[in-house]
Amino acid sequence: MKDYLDVLSMLILFSSLVLMANKRITSCIKTFRLQSALIAVAAGIMGFKSLYEEGTFDILVVCLIIIALKVIYIPSLLNKASANVEYKVEKNFFLNIPILILVCCALVVFSYFSISTLEGINGGQINVQVVNSVAIVLIGMFFMISRKRAIGQVVGFLVIENGLFVTAMFSTHGMPFIVDMGVFIDLITAVLIMGLMVFRINEKFESIDINKLNNLRG
Amino acid sequence: MINVIYILVQIMVIILVAPLVNGIINKVKAFTQKRKGAPLLQMYFDLYKLLKKNAVVSEVSSWIFKATPYIVFSTALAVALLVPVTTLIVPTGFPGDIIMLVYVLALGRFFMTLAGLDTGSTFGGMGSSREVMISALLEPSLLVAVFTVGLVSKSTSVYKMMEAMKNADVPLAQPVLIMVFFAILIIIIAETSRIPVDDPATHLELTMVHEAMILEYSGRHLALMELGAAIKQLVFITLLVNVFIPLDQYIGMTGISAVIISLLVYLVKVILVSILIAVAEVSTVKFRLFSVPNLAAFSFILSFLGFLQYSVFGR
Repeated sequence: MKDYLDVLSMLILFSSLVLMANKRITSCIKTFRLQSALIAVAAGIMGFKSLYEEGTFDILVVCLIIIALKVIYIPSLLNKASANVEYKVEKNFFLNIPILILVCCALVVFSYFSISTLEGINGGQINVQVVNSVAIVLIGMFFMISRKRAIGQVVGFLVIENGLFVTAMFSTHGMPFIVDMGVFIDLITAVLIMGLMVFRINEKFESIDINKLNNLRG
Repeated sequence: MINVIYILVQIMVIILVAPLVNGIINKVKAFTQKRKGAPLLQMYFDLYKLLKKNAVVSEVSSWIFKATPYIVFSTALAVALLVPVTTLIVPTGFPGDIIMLVYVLALGRFFMTLAGLDTGSTFGGMGSSREVMISALLEPSLLVAVFTVGLVSKSTSVYKMMEAMKNADVPLAQPVLIMVFFAILIIIIAETSRIPVDDPATHLELTMVHEAMILEYSGRHLALMELGAAIKQLVFITLLVNVFIPLDQYIGMTGISAVIISLLVYLVKVILVSILIAVAEVSTVKFRLFSVPNLAAFSFILSFLGFLQYSVFGR
């Protein structure tokens, strides 16, 4: 049981590394979908466990919401937004991909050595899953600053959110239901606004390269 | 005496199964393209025909050109001895042989690149320089991966590793080993000249790596080179399936029948991994040569994360 959650958290970390190595917007969105599906599987395992042990089905509902929202709705929204823009491949990064991956590696090492020595909430040691989840948050932030295009940054934001969600899920094994709902509603609002913004920026300036925003300075 | 029988079984199984893996991969690829494809045993027919033919050797080439097929074939065979096809028989193994495995293969590759340069054709030199680049990029990843497996199983002998994995709980359910598994899968695809890195099916001069080096070979030399490459591929697949998917502990029997059953199980595992490799090959496109470092960096970070996981959490 714990082993399988450990492996799932490793796979979620793996998928965020795959995301970092991707150049194509569509494959970034696909990988995000995969990551959300893995999170849904982890939530499903925890949900069934709590259903059997405590008789509550909060986490199962959260799992269904993840499937509906992050596996189906948000990726299709992003696909629609990216269909309207002219570029399909991220061409000029700030750093090349091997360096990006090695920086990710350094981030993971950082989170391993800084967090694994902390005391957990319930007096226990912080386990593998939480450490991996914090690494996902850091990788998401780095993903945001490594991409020049707006859609890449939306994906990075979503990865940060995924990381925060799995951190909360793995460290508490089920937050209060209302907190989860609040987080999801925030998320969907943010993504809708970002989708609109990407579209508007594209319409107004014929490009969504954020470096060109500097031209707006007076 | 019993050791001799073990070695014979090991060599026979590796040599007989190695061309089959290529056959299966080509068949699966043909199916996905709605073709019928060459028969499963096509590579056996090819090898048989090539072995009967004389080799044509360029006048300007040196002894390296003639010696290389034998060196490549014999290094592949020597490595095949170190990786047991079933853990129920004890092949020749000693502590540290996994490092020897990596570098004996490197010896074969060294001579192959020299032979590519030897005839002075432009394609050979190009293929050699690419091959050296790819192998230099993949070597750190492969070594970190095998050392991590060695740390988990407390041994540097391939046979001891497989034994340790048999007695542990399911290897793929351990967070350390799942990362190393993916790293080794990437290494297999790159080392055996499969599609994201090299295209085994074409002779297009701009893309070929392995084919460019053996372009000048013919007859029995070519047969030895191709069989050597197939054996190397099977050795990597054997390493993968027997370390990460050990099933021998579920065979309740002992004696000859148990060995036969475990060989059949091994065959099934090899076929499944070949199908997996074929699916990976048809679902990707070939990378540009300068994108290969991305793949190598990715494979390296996966094996390094496995190592990190082990050194921080100890499991």
